[in-house]
Amino acid sequence: MGTATKILIGLVALAVIFGLYVVSSYNGLVGLQQATDAQWAQVQNVYQRRADLVPNLVSTVSGAANFEKSTLLAVTEARASVGRAQLPSGTAPTDPAQLAAFQQAEGQLGSALSRLLVVSERYPDLKATAGFRDLQAQLEGTENRIAVERGRFNDVVQAYDTAIRRFPAVLLAGALGFSSRPYFTATAGSDTPPKVQFDFGGAAPAKP
Amino acid sequence: MSVRTLGLLVLCFAAGGIRAAEVMPAPPRAHFNDYASVVSPATAQALDTKLADFERQTSNQVVVAIYPRFESDSSVEDYSVRVAQSWHVGQKGKDNGAVLFIFAQTHQIYLEVGYGLEGALPDALAKRIISDEIVPRFRKGDFDGGVVAGVNAVMAATQGEYRGTGRTAADRNKGMNPIAFLFLLFIVVVFIITLARKNAAIYHGGGRGGFGGPMIFPGGFGGGGGFSGGGGGGGFSGGGGSFGGGGAGGSW
Repeated sequence: MGTATKILIGLVALAVIFGLYVVSSYNGLVGLQQATDAQWAQVQNVYQRRADLVPNLVSTVSGAANFEKSTLLAVTEARASVGRAQLPSGTAPTDPAQLAAFQQAEGQLGSALSRLLVVSERYPDLKATAGFRDLQAQLEGTENRIAVERGRFNDVVQAYDTAIRRFPAVLLAGALGFSSRPYFTATAGSDTPPKVQFDFGGAAPAKP
Repeated sequence: MSVRTLGLLVLCFAAGGIRAAEVMPAPPRAHFNDYASVVSPATAQALDTKLADFERQTSNQVVVAIYPRFESDSSVEDYSVRVAQSWHVGQKGKDNGAVLFIFAQTHQIYLEVGYGLEGALPDALAKRIISDEIVPRFRKGDFDGGVVAGVNAVMAATQGEYRGTGRTAADRNKGMNPIAFLFLLFIVVVFIITLARKNAAIYHGGGRGGFGGPMIFPGGFGGGGGFSGGGGGGGFSGGGGSFGGGGAGGSW
């Protein structure tokens, strides 16, 4: 066996090893990317749940005698703008601006809803109805779900973004078409999910 | 020296990890856990047995955890979903777990419901269980009554949702307890060796000693099975369920 053959064999072996590395790295990144897509679906799911509650809530609340019309209008408008800002489902957003717009629209709906609940505190008759109590509980639970799924979304996106930025993978990720994905940000203003806190049944605030 | 550097690095990482992660309470060992000692021992024992039997019948894992006070910087709803998730309450694939958190001195309640029970126990019902069953009794100082009523309501709501296997996840784990298994294996091995030596001494050949093994083994494993049957009350072990923030909270 001549030196040239040996070198050739060596090169082929290197190429095979490199190829195997690329394949396994690609598969790993695909798995992480899929995880972000799956979690994004969960996020949209819980936001949809909140949007679905709105018509019910509005009809229950507007049944109350002379309920503040401006509050109701704000909720319906925010609900409509959320419908417009809906991102294409299937894959997690790749454009930070897109996610920010989505987050802003959802944040507006969230704060409009929390305003509605605060305002409804002034209507004891409304608060006493079983229907309103149930809706409050559902809304509260939905806000929790949104917080949970958003947190998990950020976790999987972080895992994915870290993986594509890690050293050997970073050389390949761009060529293989993996780009980083944006997170949900928790900043002040309309972005934060509304804090819906109620003393149900007229309970006095908890004393430690 | 490189080893020392490595050690230092590992230490730094470990320290960073500890600082970053919030300390989660350890998974409970029973279905009913009163860390605040507000419920009478008899009631606690009865509820624990009841909840373990409920898991055997329905596979639903309902856990009660009563703490003296709420100790976290975050909100009750956020904290309880993370704790319930870390305990893996509910069976894997069914996610049929529910955890009733009670913080005695800070007067907080949260009923955390797993994904798989959200249909049977929606937030509105969870809220009603808390505000109609538990809170009125707690206000009167009747902790036993409140907890019993709450647990009964949760069981009634989730009754027909899934079918049980007749065993709890803890029963199953007991059957596979690695320490018990190793212990049994040790006994079996010792047995075989003794037998093989005896046989060798009697027959001056290895042939029959080899037969001793297979004859002993079924008996040894049978003993393992019998071990798992023990314990009428409970013992809790998370089945691998997942939580998504369903449920409701309240205070008294």
